[in-house]
Amino acid sequence: MKERIHKDVVIVGAGMAGLTAALYCGRMNLDTLVLENALVGGQIANATSIENYPGFKSVTGQELIGTLQKQAESFGAVIDEFDEIERVTLKTSPKLIETQEKIYEADVVIIASGMNRRKLPLAEEKKFSGRGVHYCELCDGHAYEGKIIAVAGGGNAAVDAANFLTKYSDNVYLIHRSQLRADDVSQKRLRANEKVTVMLQTEIKALHGDKRLESVDILDKATGETKNLAVDGIFVNIGVEPNTALFKDELTLTASGRIPAGEDCRTEIAGVFAAGDVREKEIRQLTTAASDGTTAALLAEKYLSKLKAGD
Amino acid sequence: MVKVYSFDGCPWCDKVKKFLDAKGIEYEVRDVELSAEAAAECEKISGDTAVPVTTIDGVNYVLGFNKPELEKLLGIA
Repeated sequence: MKERIHKDVVIVGAGMAGLTAALYCGRMNLDTLVLENALVGGQIANATSIENYPGFKSVTGQELIGTLQKQAESFGAVIDEFDEIERVTLKTSPKLIETQEKIYEADVVIIASGMNRRKLPLAEEKKFSGRGVHYCELCDGHAYEGKIIAVAGGGNAAVDAANFLTKYSDNVYLIHRSQLRADDVSQKRLRANEKVTVMLQTEIKALHGDKRLESVDILDKATGETKNLAVDGIFVNIGVEPNTALFKDELTLTASGRIPAGEDCRTEIAGVFAAGDVREKEIRQLTTAASDGTTAALLAEKYLSKLKAGD
Repeated sequence: MVKVYSFDGCPWCDKVKKFLDAKGIEYEVRDVELSAEAAAECEKISGDTAVPVTTIDGVNYVLGFNKPELEKLLGIA
């Protein structure tokens, strides 16, 4: 029988939005628990240099998130990154969050579950995952010292990954099926980096190797020609998808799989808020995630006050 | 003694260490970036230098952070 524990607020996800919400909830003396299934920090846990967060010229994701985590914990928020959520029931009062070990009864749930990196859509991905196909440059880049590396993708994350990986290799390919979408600063840095070969209008079609990745087939979309390229490791940065599988039976999701909620972060269920990249919105930045976390926490407190007053 | 092959700044390595700390399990950190010997040991165990690698006997190991597998390896399931 799992232990049942009441919480004022349960926050799902410990990225920028979730931890900011935790910081604010903690400061308002709300009994707050943050549950994280993967890495505290979410997408920026792997970021090697963040240059667009106000107040920091350049900061690593781990530094920024580490400080924010300590800040939230100093105000009483508890972060549990080892007890995975199994299911949620949001339409009841209180709402139920069942983990592997406990059942949390929460008056408010703030969903800040963010996004996951999209997997390389090739049949051989599974065979080579961790054996040449990787999703974390910080974790696995060091294994490719002096080897041939490819980065798949064309956004900021891909371009920054390619630049970062030249720390280990003089031979890095950036392979993208269309044009680069990364911001000008990152692209300029990439173009100036002689260790990176940029291959645009190019698609990875197949992966080859015995036990480990040894080469990839690439299609030049301009010429229609396919050729084989020797590659020891691919770091995949081809976009992200919302982490909303847990909520699909409880909340209506948008076509892109995100949670519909306005700037007030309120969802269709009273007492359930969506904050950060998981919320359907046009701009998804660290700063807007922090903004959402703030809004969700402050409105959660208002909701709780009314709930406790019996309004 | 539990050994964790890892390096500073690796987020999943940190997660494994925090998990062991939370469970009160002592471990030795083998830094594969600072020590070529540790990197060679890691490669011998898993056939690769990808980390984190957690092992007790140098034969059975868990690659990455995988809670059920770690609990099984550590006998705390």
